[in-house]
Amino acid sequence: MTRMIAGLLVRRALVAVPLLVLVSFLLFAALRLLPIDAAAMSLPPTATLAEVAAKRHDMGLDRPVIVQYGIWIDGVMHGRFGQSIALRRDAGTLLAGGLPTTIELAVCAMLVASTLGLGGGLLLFAARGTWAEAAGDLVATLLMSVPDFMWALLLLLVFGVLMPVLPFIGRLDPGLTRPSITGFLLIDALTTGNSAVLFSALRHMALPAVALGMAFAPPLARVLRSSLLDVYHDDYIRQARLRGIGETRILLCHALKNAIIPTLTLMGVQFGFLFGGTLLVEVIYGYPGVGNLMVDAVRNADLPVIQAVGVSYCVVVIAISMITDAAHQLIDPRQHAR
Amino acid sequence: MTFKLQRRALLAGATAIAFAPRLARAADADAVTIGWPNDVGTWDPNQRFTPDAQSIFKAVFDSPLTQNQQLKLVPHALAAWELAPDALSMKVRLRDDISFHDGVRMTTEDFKYTFLDRIKTTPGLDTANSWRKVQDIEILSPTDAIMHFSSPAPTAPQWMSFLGSYIVPKHAVEAVGAAAFAQKPLGSGPYKLVDYELNARIVLERNDAYWGPKPKIRRVTIQVIKDASARVAAVQSGQVDLTVNLPIRDTVRLQADAAFTAALLPITRVILLQVRNDLGFADQNVRLAAHHGIDKASLSKAFFNGAAVPLSVPAVSGTPGFLADFSFPYDPEQAKGLLARSGFSVEKPAKIGLATTNGQFPGDYDLARAIAQMWKKVGIEADIQVIEYAKYFELNRGGKLPEATLYSWDNATGDPEIYTGYLLNPKMPFSAWKGMEIGQKDMDLFNVANYDDRIAGYRALNREAVSFGATIPLLQTVMTIARKKGLEMEAFGQWLGVAATLSWS
Repeated sequence: MTRMIAGLLVRRALVAVPLLVLVSFLLFAALRLLPIDAAAMSLPPTATLAEVAAKRHDMGLDRPVIVQYGIWIDGVMHGRFGQSIALRRDAGTLLAGGLPTTIELAVCAMLVASTLGLGGGLLLFAARGTWAEAAGDLVATLLMSVPDFMWALLLLLVFGVLMPVLPFIGRLDPGLTRPSITGFLLIDALTTGNSAVLFSALRHMALPAVALGMAFAPPLARVLRSSLLDVYHDDYIRQARLRGIGETRILLCHALKNAIIPTLTLMGVQFGFLFGGTLLVEVIYGYPGVGNLMVDAVRNADLPVIQAVGVSYCVVVIAISMITDAAHQLIDPRQHAR
Repeated sequence: MTFKLQRRALLAGATAIAFAPRLARAADADAVTIGWPNDVGTWDPNQRFTPDAQSIFKAVFDSPLTQNQQLKLVPHALAAWELAPDALSMKVRLRDDISFHDGVRMTTEDFKYTFLDRIKTTPGLDTANSWRKVQDIEILSPTDAIMHFSSPAPTAPQWMSFLGSYIVPKHAVEAVGAAAFAQKPLGSGPYKLVDYELNARIVLERNDAYWGPKPKIRRVTIQVIKDASARVAAVQSGQVDLTVNLPIRDTVRLQADAAFTAALLPITRVILLQVRNDLGFADQNVRLAAHHGIDKASLSKAFFNGAAVPLSVPAVSGTPGFLADFSFPYDPEQAKGLLARSGFSVEKPAKIGLATTNGQFPGDYDLARAIAQMWKKVGIEADIQVIEYAKYFELNRGGKLPEATLYSWDNATGDPEIYTGYLLNPKMPFSAWKGMEIGQKDMDLFNVANYDDRIAGYRALNREAVSFGATIPLLQTVMTIARKKGLEMEAFGQWLGVAATLSWS
């Protein structure tokens, strides 16, 4: 089994490399087509035309796009993503600083979405054919129709201002000092045994994670409900009933194991969207992740940062896809047989 | 690992999370949390001209000069300065009691390094542009030096208190390098930086060895909150003690709340229309009609609760270039008459483009729409084009800006060179106006060394430029600020005493 999964991951990784090169080139070329003079923008407004021209030459912007891309990809291979126009720092360093924050937030949001989605799916299934199912469907539709940034503002207003029980600014209370080991605050707090930081970080993460996860829960619930309805037509469910197994056990131990596979696939796809959804939510909650970085980069037309963050999104989506495939391999017995 | 994650601990934690008391913290007399709209980006204060970062830099670094509440230059790190009559040199005397945060004394070596040596050796410093005329800095003693300029630098003293002009420690920058210094800065200001997380928070601790007035607050935490609604919520919920740049209507609402002190403070930032001298604005009648057709008082009332002062010249009251005896009236009939002379009317309007940013400063896009509506009533049809602020210079360089561009301009010094001088100099990237009838006079003023002559020249130019239709000043804008009752502060000009002047009453 382990060898099978390892083989699968290696195959996926081999496909991922050319895919990443292609995506990064398309992104690079698209950004270069924008009417933005990165050289002029990296100098103060008082710079002369001659200084701008010299800067353009230094940055290689007077060379063909394919040559520029070659220079960039060579830099990336050596850990250099280019210098941020606005922050005058290596875009890779900026990315590395924000990525753990966003991953941590996205994972927690996915946990929220999964908990609500799987729980909701089971409830909808249990209530099938009753008025509660219709009501549940309506609630799911309402939840889905509110975008994540709107959830962010609503939750902030309700739990931050009207009933101020949760903080909504940054990652920690002002008096606390963050441990800085991996960049993953929760992990660092656990590693250093700093319970004050851990609980403060959890409290600060609650609202953004729920805001992000809320819109993703209803599709999970619906897919799970639909899959359960499908598998309940299968013979093995009937046979389980004939063997006298209770309905709850049939649902949780037999039906769910098969029905969850499409839900898992959806979760993999959704994680990519959820990662992208951090942009506005991070800005609203003052969360220092790559979403926040990206919003600033777009505002300042900071091409190296946009490029670095864009590629990181692509890497995350590919990685999640690989993890989902591996999870399939583990859960789905039909995959073992192949 | 010392922390054991036990079920009881988890339960206790979950309970604490779920039933946490109201978050509003009691005011700690020794600490303040500020909600600030932007990060500094880099901690090298010479690197980027970021107006919003200057208040924070002023807490950590010392500038040679500063300004008092009347915007007059006053000594700071420099005890004295004297600009030569020809503005080709300036004698400076540094205080002898300033130490950097590591205890090393500040000397003229640091001054020279900041304003000459590092500009030559460190690429990408914005101060290289503001101090490009510095040819040499002659060190006479650890406290005395003479700056020599390659051409007259009449505004050198003003720039000593302006963007990016902070003295950095030569020994520290050379020891760790510019990149490392920008991550872990060492200043001489009233506060030390103790923690920093990009786009999240800045934690400052009082410098008890500061040479100047000691700040009353020991610890200042600046939370970066870019979303204006979140800043309002943060101050209302007590998660921050003070915040700025709130929407006008929220500021007005908080003014009525007894728990807060909220204000709309006039600052040295002006909103104006940068105009071209060609295309649809080649005709002076159309330019002047465009100016007469704007009801600035109504714009102020609609978008700034009446707090933004209508302007007739590109300078604010209390600054040397302001003309108290000159006004350019809102007169729609005169606007129609001027347009009629050029063959335009409401039925047959003059067609121009109006560029605006959307979200660069409060109400920008709405202001542009309101102006377009006002123009429509007198016979000017404006096509509104939304541009990114970052693209203004590029579009201007390529001659691609439309006839008018809604523009916001900061000038904390109040000096007319940094208002009219920059805004109407055809050779500078800020000016959309390229006509030499005004442009040449503007450029000539850059070389006038005598202060009184220079100011008189700019005052005359302000009157002429507006009467000629080379610029359309609109409003002196306001900064909105809200803080908890009991938190006292000083605010003047553009520079908020963000940390050093705060205290709890």
